[in-house]
Amino acid sequence: MSATTGYFRAGTSWLHRRHPITKLLGVALVLLSAFLLPSLFLLVLLVLLAFVAWSTGLSAPLAGSLRIPALLLTSILVVNALFFPGATDRLVTLGPLAVTREGLSFGLISAGRILVAFLVMVLFLFTTLADDLLEALISRGASHRFAFVVLSAVQMVPRMQTRAASILDAQQARGLPVTGSFRSRVRALVPLIGPVILGSLIDVRERTFALEARGFGARPGRTAYRVVADPPQDRLLRWLLLAAALAVVVIAVTGVAGS
Amino acid sequence: MTDAASQTEPLLVIDGLSVRYAGRREPAIDAVDLAVLAGERVGVTGRTGAGKSTLALAAGGFIPRVVRAKLAGTVHIDGIDATTLEPAALVGRVGLIFATPANQLSASKQSVREELAFGLENLGVDRAEMETRIDGVLDRLGIAHLADREPFALSGGEQQRVAIASIVAMGTKVLVLDEPTAQVDPAGTADVGALLAELAAEGTAVLCVEHDPTILGAMDRVVVIDGGRVIGIDRPGVALGLSIAQSVGLPSPTMVRLSEIAGVDPANAFDVEAVTKGLLASTPTDTSVPSAEHPGQTWMATRQRSSAALEIDSLVHRYPNGVEAICGVSLSIPAGQSVAILGQNGSGKTTLVKHLNGLLRANAGEVRIDGRATTAERVDQLAATVGFVFQNPDDQLFERSVEREIAFGPRNLGFAATEVTALIERSLKAVGLIAERTTNPYDLDLSRRKLVALASVLAMDPAILVLDEPTTGQDSEGIARVGAVIAAWRAAGRTAIAITHDMEFAATSFERIIVMRLGSVIADGPPAEVLTVANSALLASTGIKPPPIALVAAAAALERTPLDVDGLLTALRARSWNQTPQGPIER
Repeated sequence: MSATTGYFRAGTSWLHRRHPITKLLGVALVLLSAFLLPSLFLLVLLVLLAFVAWSTGLSAPLAGSLRIPALLLTSILVVNALFFPGATDRLVTLGPLAVTREGLSFGLISAGRILVAFLVMVLFLFTTLADDLLEALISRGASHRFAFVVLSAVQMVPRMQTRAASILDAQQARGLPVTGSFRSRVRALVPLIGPVILGSLIDVRERTFALEARGFGARPGRTAYRVVADPPQDRLLRWLLLAAALAVVVIAVTGVAGS
Repeated sequence: MTDAASQTEPLLVIDGLSVRYAGRREPAIDAVDLAVLAGERVGVTGRTGAGKSTLALAAGGFIPRVVRAKLAGTVHIDGIDATTLEPAALVGRVGLIFATPANQLSASKQSVREELAFGLENLGVDRAEMETRIDGVLDRLGIAHLADREPFALSGGEQQRVAIASIVAMGTKVLVLDEPTAQVDPAGTADVGALLAELAAEGTAVLCVEHDPTILGAMDRVVVIDGGRVIGIDRPGVALGLSIAQSVGLPSPTMVRLSEIAGVDPANAFDVEAVTKGLLASTPTDTSVPSAEHPGQTWMATRQRSSAALEIDSLVHRYPNGVEAICGVSLSIPAGQSVAILGQNGSGKTTLVKHLNGLLRANAGEVRIDGRATTAERVDQLAATVGFVFQNPDDQLFERSVEREIAFGPRNLGFAATEVTALIERSLKAVGLIAERTTNPYDLDLSRRKLVALASVLAMDPAILVLDEPTTGQDSEGIARVGAVIAAWRAAGRTAIAITHDMEFAATSFERIIVMRLGSVIADGPPAEVLTVANSALLASTGIKPPPIALVAAAAALERTPLDVDGLLTALRARSWNQTPQGPIER
């Protein structure tokens, strides 16, 4: 992973070859389906995403990326299963606590939605070059400021990871214990997060200056040096994705599928 | 200056310029007048906080458009008032380059070619025209070999040259640079300097804020500013000398000091041969004003164990990609020794020292401190013995005051409260930041943030102090501060190890020099034996060259290489004494 490419993994799979906007529509469709359609549909989405990962040869890195939301997903599940307000249907009793059916079900649905959202966005980042996304957005008429925010967001996490590694080194070298008890790990957070945020602010200032000096956003009629491939079938695919997204919204609003 | 310059109108005219930031009572720069002709290179120097960066931002048309501040007076670029120009028209005329190489790039481009296209895209240049301009710039600026490389994989010096090229591709006539070589190694600095010379020869007007004497020495004129005001503008040999730079407490570069001692024409101040000839012809005595006193008093240790011997034994380190960064290095550093590690970027210096406090684990061999392998302890435990100051202070500063920041390390090590208080005082005094104890570290400029980071490690009272490039981004005053800390450390019998690109700092502050290339040690010995002209070829193979004193000593055919101006003058006097058969004693 580098600061330029972010999470991008070079490849020539069918998903890599799609135009960034096509992929963005795909992400939107999956997100809408996950949050608007009946919760059982989450299983369909998870199977679908697993298939996409397999067909693009990205199963292993995708599985590896799951350690990022693992703690969040587990805590959503545990907290809801044990402490869901007003739940009465006890499945398992653990001393003063009990796993409730309502809590478990709500926890599973919430965690499932977050999992689907995470996976689809990671697949997008794995297969889309930040620069292609920037060009695609600007050529579709997005304002350069919006495009820059999207670009920064895509690149922010890898940049912060690189920085966080040096900060971890620097604070350990000042005698900060970062392993051991839960308490010492929590105590280590402020000295680690502080420099990440403050350092990023300094970086942003310098990078903004550099972009200004290169005339970013100086005039509307921007041209493009890099040609972002847009295969003919993508156009059709985009219409299909749009129609599907519309259908999902209609189904959700009219309640055709029940809930 | 080129011939073209003498006949042309100035491209950059700054007239009665004052800039005041919101919330400040004093202006950052005050009534500055300055004109830069086509083909002329003008350097700007001064102490930290003198207003240099503000001048650069204003000259580049960034104030008040990008940086909010109150501006009085005018900046004319190619005859047009910068404040009336549309952003697109402005960036096509004047370009700005800043200090951090990686932050100069668009951060999204996959090749240097695309990086150069970025500015042209923003200006709406059509694709065919882009190719022509990119090819032209790659060729003219001698960076064609970088065309298909990934910008982020380049060295700092290469990144700065690409950043400059991308500005030049936009058709810029005026180039303003704010410390472009502050974070670049000596070879990269020389390349950037050569590029500026080429651009000026083509008619670009260059305004360059710098501390580096090799860059400033090559300028046509140098402006010295202090407290926001222009103190003087003259040829580098004059501006950086006794009458202007030293009048505001800015130490002169060694060559300028020597040229003034020798009484040579300031135009030849950076010409080693001319200065040597002048020195040999006169009875040299130092006339320069002593620079601000930095009391190099002994570091007051608070603990019993005050020194530790370091053994590096057949150390090998391979990166995950298989590249061998350290190829079997063995070194013995006795307790209390001061060592400078030199070599170009990528020679393995930082990788080597990161093994000293256990941040990196060796693939083979080991590091022992007083006979004990460093792998036996965790990094945070080793911190009590090995203090490590990182190159980038922003990787560690997070507290809301300088004082609290300095207390962080000793508290982690479990020192008693009274001891922590005493160590804070000593550390603040050592780096000269007593007055800033309650200031938020992020309200200080980079050079003082580096001193805070240094103080925060001193306060841990370690037996071994390791510094990664403590002088980058420092002005000469800051470098003197760091030198005084090293001296205090030496006086206390502690070990100090520093990675540096500053040859004069290495020669004057350390008793041992280790030179690295491609993961191996290629020279090791006292500065007077390693940093000599006889070793030039060896040093050049890792991108460094002997300090100016060594060049003058060689030109004067001195047998031993002196380390500083005093040493050189003493050696010259001793020689003229010996070479005069009718010397005063014999009479």
